[in-house]
Amino acid sequence: MFLALREMRHSKVRYIFIMVIMLLVSFLVLFVTGLAKGLADANISAIESMSNNHFVMQGDAEQKFRRSQLGEDDLNKVRSIVGEENATPIAMQMSAVTVEGLDTKSDVTFFAVDMAGALSPKVVEGEAVTNDDNGNVLVDSKLADAGLKIGSTIKDQSTGMTLTVTGIVKNQSYSHTPVIFMNIHDWQTMKGLMSQDPEILKSSLFNAIALDVTSDQATALSGKVDNLEVMTQKEAVSNIPGYAEEQKSLLLMISFLYVIGAFVLAVFFYVLTIQKTSQFGILKAMGTKTAYLARSVVGQVLILSVVSLSLSLLLTWGLMSILPESMPFQMNLSTALLTSGLFVVTSLLGSLISVTQVAKVDALEAIGRVGA
Amino acid sequence: MSSKLIMKQVTKTFGDGDSTISILNRLNLEVNEGEFVAVLGPSGSGKSTFLSTAGALLSPTSGEIILDGESLTGKSKQELTSIRLHKIGFMFQSANLLPYLKVQEQLLYVARLTGMNSKEAKDRSERLLKRLDIWERRNFYPEKLSGGEKQRVAIARAWMNNPAILFADEPTASLDFKRGRQVVQMIADEVKSEGKSAVMVTHDERMLEWCDRVLHLQDGVLV
Repeated sequence: MFLALREMRHSKVRYIFIMVIMLLVSFLVLFVTGLAKGLADANISAIESMSNNHFVMQGDAEQKFRRSQLGEDDLNKVRSIVGEENATPIAMQMSAVTVEGLDTKSDVTFFAVDMAGALSPKVVEGEAVTNDDNGNVLVDSKLADAGLKIGSTIKDQSTGMTLTVTGIVKNQSYSHTPVIFMNIHDWQTMKGLMSQDPEILKSSLFNAIALDVTSDQATALSGKVDNLEVMTQKEAVSNIPGYAEEQKSLLLMISFLYVIGAFVLAVFFYVLTIQKTSQFGILKAMGTKTAYLARSVVGQVLILSVVSLSLSLLLTWGLMSILPESMPFQMNLSTALLTSGLFVVTSLLGSLISVTQVAKVDALEAIGRVGA
Repeated sequence: MSSKLIMKQVTKTFGDGDSTISILNRLNLEVNEGEFVAVLGPSGSGKSTFLSTAGALLSPTSGEIILDGESLTGKSKQELTSIRLHKIGFMFQSANLLPYLKVQEQLLYVARLTGMNSKEAKDRSERLLKRLDIWERRNFYPEKLSGGEKQRVAIARAWMNNPAILFADEPTASLDFKRGRQVVQMIADEVKSEGKSAVMVTHDERMLEWCDRVLHLQDGVLV
């Protein structure tokens, strides 16, 4: 590192320029990563945070929750195979609500679950809703940020049903809308307000059945029910409309940024190495080992990428504290560390081309040459 | 008196098949302790090849080279690097200092490679720089030095690792006559005061005043 550090000291401007580029690229990597995570959360967190591992949906629903319609019969059939305690129904309905006393209208998704079962969400503030409650709901904290409080009354726009907020839950979003949880009893009331036809009511009470089973049990189940489809939670999540498309395009951006970062460093060090060919020849003639020179190049890359990453982590952290709550941006420590680690690794990969160049230089370059 | 460098029947050929050229042809040379040898030859006579071969940068096609009692025959690239580091001091044309190291750091770098402890390295570099009258420039970058000053630093650097022998490749090429003579004189002084040997390759016949022996490289042999 003797040479690496002194060279950077001597050519400050050159190294600061490259560091600024690395800083900008790594900041963009962190920012887009945070955005991808934030958008994912806004889209799927209510499903992802469910503790079950499989879902059952209608066979022709293409694994999409809102396309799937199941009735009491389906639930009973599934329960008879996997056991009553392992299968619990879930229903959802997108809608818009108004809050009494506030003149805002919010898009929301109603989730109806068994409040005594595994899917009942964790309340962070206020009181939980029981299966016997009438007209009580839990709302996601994003609605609370919009001014809604415990005890507020909300009114569903499509049915005119009024509901009372008794508790707040955290990180429960579906399809970029906050989720409102209600019990099955209220859900049936709401369904009844939407349609009077008893046949429709009977066959489309739920959207899916959440299962807590082993994969063997899941396979066994799918062999026994022909009009139903069993899938893993992951499959169900990736088929939430927009989720895969959104994440894939962001992932493409992120991977390009990694490649760009690696290439910028690679080209910079490649040009620098070519310029220094005769210097390396002299160093080798003097008895410097190739490994020492290689370490010197890799050391510089490491210093540049770690310093610029640290600065961009600080920038990201600063940005997070001033971003409005409505901005879907999520960055936790493990994501930040993983991203940073990956960035350092790709930078080092980029430096390998220079290392091979250094290895190729022959000590003979030093003899009979005029310029340094 | 012991020999620092012995070259026995050293041949170096380039090319293959019918078009081989022997640059060195059964060359013999023995350099004793305290001896300063000059090798003269016009350009193209093989001076660089001679120096590279003697300086463990290039392996001879045949023949034997013994440096400070150690034969170079059959040594791997890594072993040759280590021999260069510990037994040989190099001076190159136009000094070839590292642009990003200050004068004293040029010497300290060599010390680090050889594993000298830092106290000893500081003392030795100070002694060398003072003796070559460049001590007050120790915190300058090479770009701020004149050509003569650069070569003086190069001499100090070449002696820093306490080598058995110094090889100088046209050390006066980029200097005017007066400065060139000074540099050669300094090399000679160091050879005497350190009790070492030196081989200087040059094409300038005016620089030979302090050399103990002058040889000419002709047709691949020294005469």
